[in-house]
Amino acid sequence: MKTTFTLNEKPVSWNSEPGQTLLDALRAHGIVSVRNGCDGEGSCGLCAVLMDGKQVNSCQILLPQVEGRNIYTVDYFGKNRSLSIVQRALIDAACVQCGYCTPAVVLALHELLARSPDPSEPEVKDALSGTLCRCTGYEQFFNAARIASKRLRDPSYSEAASEQFRPDLRHVGKDRDKVDAVALARGERAFVEDRVAADACHLFVLGSPHAHAYIKSVDISKAEAMPGVVKVLCKDNCPDLVYTTAGQGFPEPSPHDQRMFPRKARFVGDRVAAVLAETPEQAKAALSAITVEYDVLEPVLSIAQAKAKGAPIVHHGDVSYVVGDPPEGSSVKGDGRDDPILYQFPLHADPHRNLAASVSDGIGDMDKGFAEADVVIERTYVGNRVQCTPMEPHVVYARMDGGRLILHASTQVPWHVRRIVSRAIGVSENKVRVVKERVGGGFGAKQDIVVEDLAGYLAWTTGRDVFYRYNREEEFAASRTRHGMEITVKLGAKKDGTLTAVLMQLDADTGPYGQHCLTVPMNAISKSLPLVLCDNARFEVRSWYTNLSPAGAYQGYGAPKGSFALQTALAELAAELGMDQLDLIEKNRVRSGSRIEILRSLGEGRPGQPVTLGECGLGEMIRRGRVNLEWDKPKPKASADGWKVGRGGVIIQQGSGLPGLDAANAELRLLSDGTLLMLSGGADLGTGLDTVTAKAAAEILGLDMEDVSVVSGDTDTTPFDKGAYASSGTYFSGNAAVKAALDLKAKCISVAAGILGEPESDLAIVPRGIIRGKRGEITLAKLAHLSIQGEGHHELVGFGNFKTEHAAFPYGAHFAQVEVNERSGEVRITRYHAYQDCGTPINPALAMGQIYGGVMKAVGHSLYEELLFDNKGRPLNTNFLDYKIPSVFEVPDDFHVELVPVADEEGPFGGKSVSEISLNGSAPAIAIAIHDAVGVWMREWPFTPERILKAMGKL
Amino acid sequence: MVNEYVRPASLEEALELMEDDGSVASAGGTFLLTGYEVGRGRDMDCMIDVLQLLPSGVTRSGNELSIGSGTTFQALIDSKDAPACLKAAALSMANRNTRNRATVGGNLGANKACASLPPILLALGAKVEFKARASAPLTLDLDKWLAAPEGLVLRVIVPMAPGTLAAAGRASRTACDLATATVGVSYRLENGVIRGLRVALGGFSPHARLFPDLAALFEGTALPPKADIERVAKPLLTAISDHRGSADYKKQRGAVILADAMHAAEALS
Repeated sequence: MKTTFTLNEKPVSWNSEPGQTLLDALRAHGIVSVRNGCDGEGSCGLCAVLMDGKQVNSCQILLPQVEGRNIYTVDYFGKNRSLSIVQRALIDAACVQCGYCTPAVVLALHELLARSPDPSEPEVKDALSGTLCRCTGYEQFFNAARIASKRLRDPSYSEAASEQFRPDLRHVGKDRDKVDAVALARGERAFVEDRVAADACHLFVLGSPHAHAYIKSVDISKAEAMPGVVKVLCKDNCPDLVYTTAGQGFPEPSPHDQRMFPRKARFVGDRVAAVLAETPEQAKAALSAITVEYDVLEPVLSIAQAKAKGAPIVHHGDVSYVVGDPPEGSSVKGDGRDDPILYQFPLHADPHRNLAASVSDGIGDMDKGFAEADVVIERTYVGNRVQCTPMEPHVVYARMDGGRLILHASTQVPWHVRRIVSRAIGVSENKVRVVKERVGGGFGAKQDIVVEDLAGYLAWTTGRDVFYRYNREEEFAASRTRHGMEITVKLGAKKDGTLTAVLMQLDADTGPYGQHCLTVPMNAISKSLPLVLCDNARFEVRSWYTNLSPAGAYQGYGAPKGSFALQTALAELAAELGMDQLDLIEKNRVRSGSRIEILRSLGEGRPGQPVTLGECGLGEMIRRGRVNLEWDKPKPKASADGWKVGRGGVIIQQGSGLPGLDAANAELRLLSDGTLLMLSGGADLGTGLDTVTAKAAAEILGLDMEDVSVVSGDTDTTPFDKGAYASSGTYFSGNAAVKAALDLKAKCISVAAGILGEPESDLAIVPRGIIRGKRGEITLAKLAHLSIQGEGHHELVGFGNFKTEHAAFPYGAHFAQVEVNERSGEVRITRYHAYQDCGTPINPALAMGQIYGGVMKAVGHSLYEELLFDNKGRPLNTNFLDYKIPSVFEVPDDFHVELVPVADEEGPFGGKSVSEISLNGSAPAIAIAIHDAVGVWMREWPFTPERILKAMGKL
Repeated sequence: MVNEYVRPASLEEALELMEDDGSVASAGGTFLLTGYEVGRGRDMDCMIDVLQLLPSGVTRSGNELSIGSGTTFQALIDSKDAPACLKAAALSMANRNTRNRATVGGNLGANKACASLPPILLALGAKVEFKARASAPLTLDLDKWLAAPEGLVLRVIVPMAPGTLAAAGRASRTACDLATATVGVSYRLENGVIRGLRVALGGFSPHARLFPDLAALFEGTALPPKADIERVAKPLLTAISDHRGSADYKKQRGAVILADAMHAAEALS
């Protein structure tokens, strides 16, 4: 049927099926700024349009319903490649991270300002109430609204988005536009789904309805014969090898235990069959024609079940090792039915007893340490599974070009994707190109190869373009969650609070496959235990297979759960000793010059060694929090009767990449007009990494930001990078860019010295792009021209490689003030202060945005989020109606981020990591604050009102 | 799937179409189309778009408020005539994008346990004017209509008796969540004694309804402390356990929001 309406002030008349949504119609007509994050629930608001001046969700409106209406999309505000006041304000306030939600926010603020030109904070909240954002933590949106409002009256209005650092530098430490922000704010084509050809085929997967079942037979014959079907795959016609989906460096510390289509389904949603067809409808119809016979097994649904003697065995195939031998007493002979498991090297595993990996170590004498203690406490903390929920689900577009497979991917690890996919589908790496598009949120889930293997194989074998995008239910059930963990902490201390022994025993639920099975739980130890100084410390880590949804990387890796356990236990110890909890932290924390002996046991994949810490800003961060939250004064009164106030403070740390393991590379080209092209291997997930590398180039070559363009994360055109994980972006990829810029600078000076006839030592680069000597000068443009023309010797290109043995720890102190309702168990966060040391903040406001966003994710994990399963292992809350992530309403009233930089000697311009650490403080700080308010210790996250009431004995 | 979309020219035509199996009337569509993109929305052979046929707007005449069923939640909130308790209930649908589209009539017609408006409208003694096929518009108490919905709601008529104290309440996990429990109360305080108490709750039956047994507990008494209200109310509630919480917890939350609403209403006096 035909629908006539006005779109962005132009009349249009579109034909559609009666049931086509406005969202689908807009995208089909090339308006890609409307996006789908919740499959039509109306929860996420990313598909928003203005209809007759009001913001509505286009996923919940059929195209015929807009007959005669006026529809605006963000494209209207960015017409002629301009920026509206709101778009400019969002960029200035550093609100554009991944950018997937930005068009919706632009529309929301335009609607708001049209009806309320000087909006209050509640009005801003209300305006943004329909938009979910997982990156930003919402806080800086308030700044953007204020800036835009003021510019309505005074177009020249400006304000600093953050404190500025490093006055000796032109760009570093200063707020500059994020290099991709303008395109993202305009809603231009940037994401994988924006690249898909109209005739691409669509891939859909039949997931197992059972958590644990042998797949006895799969009949695909009817499906294969159906209209539009290009290919049907199942266990019988897929590549017969196992691999890991973990996007880690090779050889991976994760077992190769996953087949493209397993012989045994190990979780609800595990791949059973897939259909590639010319339309989504044809693919879905063919899926329903596939018949499967299962041999259903008892599932393993908890760590306790996995550990139990005689438990069902999640992986029962033959176990082998590339290097090393199986642990003594472990079982390696399979049942003859299941897929094999291949370990690259021993991980102290025993898969036939569901033990995917284990490790234990320590320093000192634990018996002696506990014997010396005046007080010993032992507590167990449980962290349930939470979902990364990037607003853009896992997605890939695979196509053939010139006999090569091109993967347009939303990934954190382009090179690991290339390596793993090429092996999985049986081709060499030179036949595969991975192009990382803009990523609509990764958060760790996109460190794994979740969709690329299957799409790549089908594109390679059929020659057809393949579009594969998880829906939200699949994203919840089959992508990656944070590992479930149970952590027992045993602490011994003297009466004055001095720790004499620290024992952490950790059991992790890695789910059906072993990606990150060792490294995530180890990270829970390695990013929490080194925060305290104790001569006697030990950890024991075991990672168990279960039949719940796959676990994997999630921002912070294991650290948020380790931090929750140890920091809360320290507070419980303080309570036991009658001490102020910050005083106990102060007595035991690491400080400048501390020798951290426990790092001898925490080598992250290689032998560890103790580290003598340089400068440490923890003392200053604790001091600032103590002052600003008036810690030493009586608590403030609650805002209403029935609510109780409590406060909590914790210290946190993370790393900056993996010293001795990872590497990053960059190439910087001087173009013929004197501008620069940065080819960075780094994978910018919306964090601002491309802006870091651009700044490095502009700073070192004396240019402005607009003189530098960045191409990144393309395995054909940019050099190798380990990927965006382990808080490595700024430190590794940023340092590679610095080295490339320094290399280019040295080459430019060398060539210029010959042209100018002056010694290199007399030459310096000064803004803007001028090499100046004592007698003469030459511009970079002229230099570039001369070097590539006529008798010029070569193009001027700098190359940088970064690897290090140096461990750079970012530290932080987080403080929460909450109100707890004694009758309902509700928790309100009235104040949240995050003090963090990221070394020199390269992009201060963007760094703060990372912290706001990290904290809000952790607030969600602490209070609301939990992936639930029934007694058959079926996930129960696989959508945003049932699984609640924070909206703008959950932002703390006083949400304060403060950067307390302590420069790192090897970091780029002294920078360290900033993002992941931000998730480590909320759970313990809130748990401690809840105890301070109502006297109960919450040892299981999330701290739901029901759990709080139960702890209070009211249920 | 929606296989056919129809925009009828009259209410009578709409009602005739609604008699066909698989045909569903839609106003804003926010309930009906939830999850539609992945096939989770309600199956509709034919969507009958009735929005343009429904009266819209809020008007007050004497002690009576009339709300057109095509009025959006946001329009209700923006109305100068709607009472605070009704605006609060509408605002409990925290998502403005949805409020810009969702209608009063749709909220009643969907008749969900988590619906935002029915409890406070029930508590206020609202009536609905609706039209059934081949019939002149009829008026019925809202509680009776919700028990056996028929036709299309045209207007909601809300008594606005002077001296009436009323408040709405809601429990949910986050602000933008489906409600675990909703409540509406109204009463008068005569010489410090509760008179004419009406209590309605959502979340404790398939759809929101009046709880006269609860109201009877407090009729003729001074407003009890919150703890006393909770203690006697909780045993009278029944709930089911699900991923939003256990039955026991939901009953507790229901009792708490009831107590809060009764006290919030008094605070308006």
